[in-house]
This record gives sequence, structure tokens and C-alpha cells, in this order.
Amino acid sequence: MNPILALVAVAVIGGAVVVVAARDARTVSVALALTLVASPLLADPLAMPLGLAARLVGAILATYLLWMVVRQNRTLGLLPSPTSGSRIGWPAEILVAAAAAVVGFAAHGLGAAAGGPPLASAAGFAVATLAVVPVATGRDVIRVGTALVLLLDAALLVRCALGGTPGDLEQLVAAGMLVVVAGAAAALAANARADGSGGFAFVDPAVSRLRREPDAHPLDRG
Amino acid sequence: MTLLPFVLVTSVGAAIALLARRNEWLAMAGSIVCLVAAVVTALAIRPGEIVMVGGSGLATTEYLRLFLVLGAVAGLLLVVVGEAVGSRRDAPAVTLGVLATSALALSLPDPRLAVLAATAGGGFGALVTLVPTGGRSASTVGIRVLRATVVSGTMAIAATAWIGRDLSDLVAQPVVFGLAYLAFAIAVAIRFGAIPAHTWAARLTDTVPESALPLVTAWAPAAFAIVALAWADASIAPLGADIDLGSVRIVVLAIATASIVLASVAAFIQDDIEHVVGYAIIGDAGVVLLAVAALDPEAWAPARTWILVFVMARSAFAAWAAATRATFSTGRVAELRGWAIRSPALAVILGVVIVASIGLPGLAAFDARGAIVGLAIDGPLGTLVLLGTLSPLAYYGRLLVVGVARPAAGEGTRVAWRPVVSPLDLTDVRRWLRRTWSENLTITATAGAAVLAILALAVSSGAFGTSKAAAGLPPTLEVSTESFAPGAPEGPGASDAPSAAPVEGESAAPVEGEPSASLAP
Repeated sequence: MNPILALVAVAVIGGAVVVVAARDARTVSVALALTLVASPLLADPLAMPLGLAARLVGAILATYLLWMVVRQNRTLGLLPSPTSGSRIGWPAEILVAAAAAVVGFAAHGLGAAAGGPPLASAAGFAVATLAVVPVATGRDVIRVGTALVLLLDAALLVRCALGGTPGDLEQLVAAGMLVVVAGAAAALAANARADGSGGFAFVDPAVSRLRREPDAHPLDRG
Repeated sequence: MTLLPFVLVTSVGAAIALLARRNEWLAMAGSIVCLVAAVVTALAIRPGEIVMVGGSGLATTEYLRLFLVLGAVAGLLLVVVGEAVGSRRDAPAVTLGVLATSALALSLPDPRLAVLAATAGGGFGALVTLVPTGGRSASTVGIRVLRATVVSGTMAIAATAWIGRDLSDLVAQPVVFGLAYLAFAIAVAIRFGAIPAHTWAARLTDTVPESALPLVTAWAPAAFAIVALAWADASIAPLGADIDLGSVRIVVLAIATASIVLASVAAFIQDDIEHVVGYAIIGDAGVVLLAVAALDPEAWAPARTWILVFVMARSAFAAWAAATRATFSTGRVAELRGWAIRSPALAVILGVVIVASIGLPGLAAFDARGAIVGLAIDGPLGTLVLLGTLSPLAYYGRLLVVGVARPAAGEGTRVAWRPVVSPLDLTDVRRWLRRTWSENLTITATAGAAVLAILALAVSSGAFGTSKAAAGLPPTLEVSTESFAPGAPEGPGASDAPSAAPVEGESAAPVEGEPSASLAP
């Protein structure tokens, strides 16, 4: 096993753990940048310079779009807007990621000879597993949006593990896709943040809800 | 290469429109200029061209050209209709973005790349939910659209990667091919909002105006579905004799049939015409899913014909709904009593839309739909499903019955249908233009819907070479023999599906960069 690739895989998975576990939206953005920048490096052989440059620029641009949305500036009225973070805590997320990475490593090739490194498969499975819960149950735009970007990155990692290092054009199209999805998530997050004081949440907690009366025959009223 | 100007115009136009969105006038003007340029550059696309980038590349086809020309024209008309009756600020940018990504998706021969571009198109679609105020609920709907797009894209990326390599030593081939096929088919269903994965599409219908709806639920998923058809026909269909995909196909057929029938039921019982449009799109998408389930080279041409008819007819229906809402200041079906009597022009447009979407025997759309159903389902069940594809007549009938009912008291006056144009004021042309525009909003919307309906009917009847283009080859990096130009040696045969048997003298070698599915031991 190539130790450098192993370090890159650890960086990819570590970044993904922070993305799903952290509550500070800025920390989430930085961790997402780490994952997206390290992911295209998890290939053997390494991608050609043009394709690699496209992915790296795309990763930085994608996370910068999210960074612009989550920044804080009290003079501009941009108050801290945390995301909900993990419900089970980062230690549990690390264990989940580790288990998924073992499965991905062992299942490398999914029954046939694969063209990429097994570490890409391990990282892809780990990142996908981490992303599934926030995608399915997230209650704020940043949490769901960053998890969606992670999910796509996981798919690209698994694709690299199965089919080998992508060519220049594929790297370019993949970078464009990540930028579009991250940009859409950022625009939606900005739209939510601009509406009331609920930050990125789907529902503004400051908006009082109508109290719903019991449906029928309350016991205390006879 | 003639495709590049189109991609450049649409992608740069989308970026400019999004960056300049705070200046609404500038963004709108720039978008309309870019959409007009998109129509021109789409018309200039020459089929059979190839551009190599690294080991992969882009290739143009007649079908790509037709899809983009129709998409650019429909997008332009929907933007104009939306501007007349009220739409989303970002709808023009989304239109340009969807066109750019569709161009890439349909020109990339390698499905592993094409699904990436088609997924990016869905990402643009989520932006149509953005609103200046009250954005939280709109963002929630938008992130659900994005979630559906990314989940389906992830499934498609995994499916194409899984069997996009040499699998000759694979130990569990039927399972692998079956799962990959199922994943991609369900991904297509999710992208279309097919039943039971329709929740996001239903919420989207609540949020965005009718004129913007087809962009997200019809045009962008259509490009994704075309990629899926090409992939299934090249990678899965050739193995039909060797592996049994029956149980997997049943799942896809069930989703398709449920979408066709239940979407019509849902459209029939809806109170608002925008919901009728939303469910009508889902119902027609069910026929596309039937084509994905057919796994037969003979379904190649009818499926691609139907997709063109579907997107055009549903765009026209959406424009009709937008014009009707603007004309009568309501979208509630119960409050539209007598609409057809009061506005005969809208009645004629709906009639044309009905003929375009349902079709008549002999029209390309009718024959394509019949062929798809026949190839997907045999026997009496196939007949029942074919009858089910005529179920949209129920909600069309309801709309027409309401339209010819006696209008409510005091609302029986006819709607003006002639444009109002005051004498040209050469001293202040800008003011004259603004006044003329504001006095003719509903007429503009009606005219846009009329043009779209006529285009839909033309496509439905097989005009513009629809059937020939649909029967053509998918993009290939080999020198394409597909050409309909005068003097060209010969057009494609009945079906140039990727899995169709090669004719004598033609190479059957796999395309570079395309997956080579093989069951050879």
C-alpha cells in the first residue's frame, strides 16, 4: 500500500467527518475544501496536470461559494449561523467512517478487477456512508447541501477506484458539476439566511407555530 | 467545432445572468440576447463533428442539434411568457444552464461523463426556486430538488462506473448488471419525479410558476433520460439473451405504469392548473420509463421521438396554463368556468396541445408511444397500459367541460384578443415600448403559448426530421456515417440503436472510452 495515498485517504475521510460533525458552518466549509482538494489526488497513477488542475480549481471554487454564504460579519448583519451538526457526535462518526472504509477496501472492484487503488474505494464508501444521514435527515440547507457535495465526491471516488484515473475531460466535467451543485446549495443557503433570524434552518424557530388542539374528545373536558 | 459556440453562449450567459441577478433588467436583457444567440448557434451545429480532449471527446449528432434547437426556442418562449405573466428572476439563467449542460450530456459519448453533465443540469434547476423575499420555504423546496438531482446522479455515476470496464472475470454477472440497470432506471425515475418519488416535484409545483416548471421537471431530466437510454442500449440490452433481468424490469415497469395512471388521477382531482401541469409531466415521463424498461433496440427510435414530443408538448401546456392564469387572474379550475367561451384563442391552444400530447394514429408521437408500450409489455397488460397512456384525456376533458360551462354571473364578457398598440411616440420610444408591453401582457403570453403549441404539434407529427434524428446513432468518436444533408450517401436505417446488429461493412468495434460489456468467459 502506498503510504502517501493512505495519508490522502485519511485526509479525505477526516475532512468528511468534520463536515458532517461540526456545528460551525465555517469549519464545515474548510473541511469540505480539504475533502474536495484531496479526493482527486487519491488515484494511481495521478491524474494528468490539466485534469488535476481543473479538479483542484473546481474544489476551491465550490467551497469558496459556500464560504461566502457562511461568513460572519456583525457590521453587515451576518450573525453566526450554526448548522445542526451530527446527532451522534464525531467519535461515532469516525467509527462509522472506519467501518465503511473497511467494507470499501475489502469490496474493492466489486467482484472484478478494478482499475484504481483500493484506498479510493475505501474513502468513497466512507464518505458516502457519512453523507447519507445528513442527506436524508438534515434540517438545514448547509448541512444537506454540504452532504450532497460529499455524496457526489464519494461517487467520483468509487468511480476512480473501479475505472481507474479519469481523463482530463472527465475531470473537467466533474469539477463543473461540483461547482454547480455547491453553488446551487450556496445560493439556496443565502436565500434561507436572508429570511428572518433562523439561519440556514428549514423552519425559522423564531416563528411561533399555532398550537394545535387535541383532535377529539379531550378527556379533561369530559 | 460548431457545438462549442452553443456551449459558450449558454454557459457564459447563465453565469452572467446569475452574477447580474441583482440588476433584474440587465440580467433579463442579457439572458434573452443569449437565448436568441443559443437558437442561432444551435441551428448552426453540424452533425458528425468530433472534438478530442485527452482520451475522450465530444461528438455532434442530428438528434443533439434538434434537441438543442427545440430547447432553445422553447426556453426563449417560456422566458417571454414568464416575463409577461410573472415568473422567477432566475428562470432565464436556469434555462441557459440547463441548455449548456444538456448540450454536453448529449454530445459526450462516454456515459460516465455524460451523467456528470446531466447532473449539473439538475443543479441549475434548483435555482429556479429562489425568491427575493420569504426565501426560507423556497430554499427548502430548492434543496429537495437538489437532493433528488444529486441522489439520482450518484446512482447513475455508480452504475456507469460499475459496468464501465472489462467484466469478463466477474463472478456474479447477472446480479451486477441487474443492480446497475436498476440503479440507473430508478435514478431516471427520481429525476422525473415519477411516482412514488414525486414528493419533491409536487412541492416544486407549489413553489414555482407554471412557465418555469418544465425546465426542471421535463427538459433537464430529459437529457438525463437520453443518456440512460444510450447507456442501457449499449451496455445492458445486448445481454438480454444471456441474463435474466425479468424481476428487475418488473420494478421499473411498475414505477412507469404507476406514474402513467396515478399521475393522471392526481391531475384530474387537482384544483389548480399548475398542479395539473406538474402531474401531466410526471405522467408522460412514465412513458419514458417504459422505454428504459423495454431493453430492446427497437425501442431506441420511438423512445427518443417520444422524449422530444414530451418536452415540447409539456412546455406548451405549461405556457397555456400560465396564459390562462394571467388572463383570468386565477388558476383554480372551479373559478375558470366558461374560460373557453370567453377566450376562444386559449381553447384552440389547449386543443392543439391535446392533439400534440395524445396524438392521432399516424402521427409520430402516437406511433412512438404505442411502440414503446408494445415493446415494454406484452399481452393484455400491454393493452391496458396503452389505454392508460390515454388517461390524460380525463383531465383534459375536465378542463374543457369547465371551459364550456356557463360563466359565473357578471363574468361572461369575452377576453380581448387583439393587441393594443398606441401610436408610436418617436419622442419617447422607450416609454412607448414599456406601455405597449404592459398593455399586452396576457396577449403576449397567449401568443407564446400558441407558438409553443404549434411547435409541439409539428414535433408530434414528425416534422423537423424528428423520427429520422431519433433513429440516428448516439454520439460516437468514430467517424460518424450519420448525415441527413443533401447528397449524403444514406441516412440511418430503422434503428441505429447502439445495440442494434451492425450492417454489412460497418464496424462493430466498441467506441473508445465506452464501456465494453462482455459475458465472455
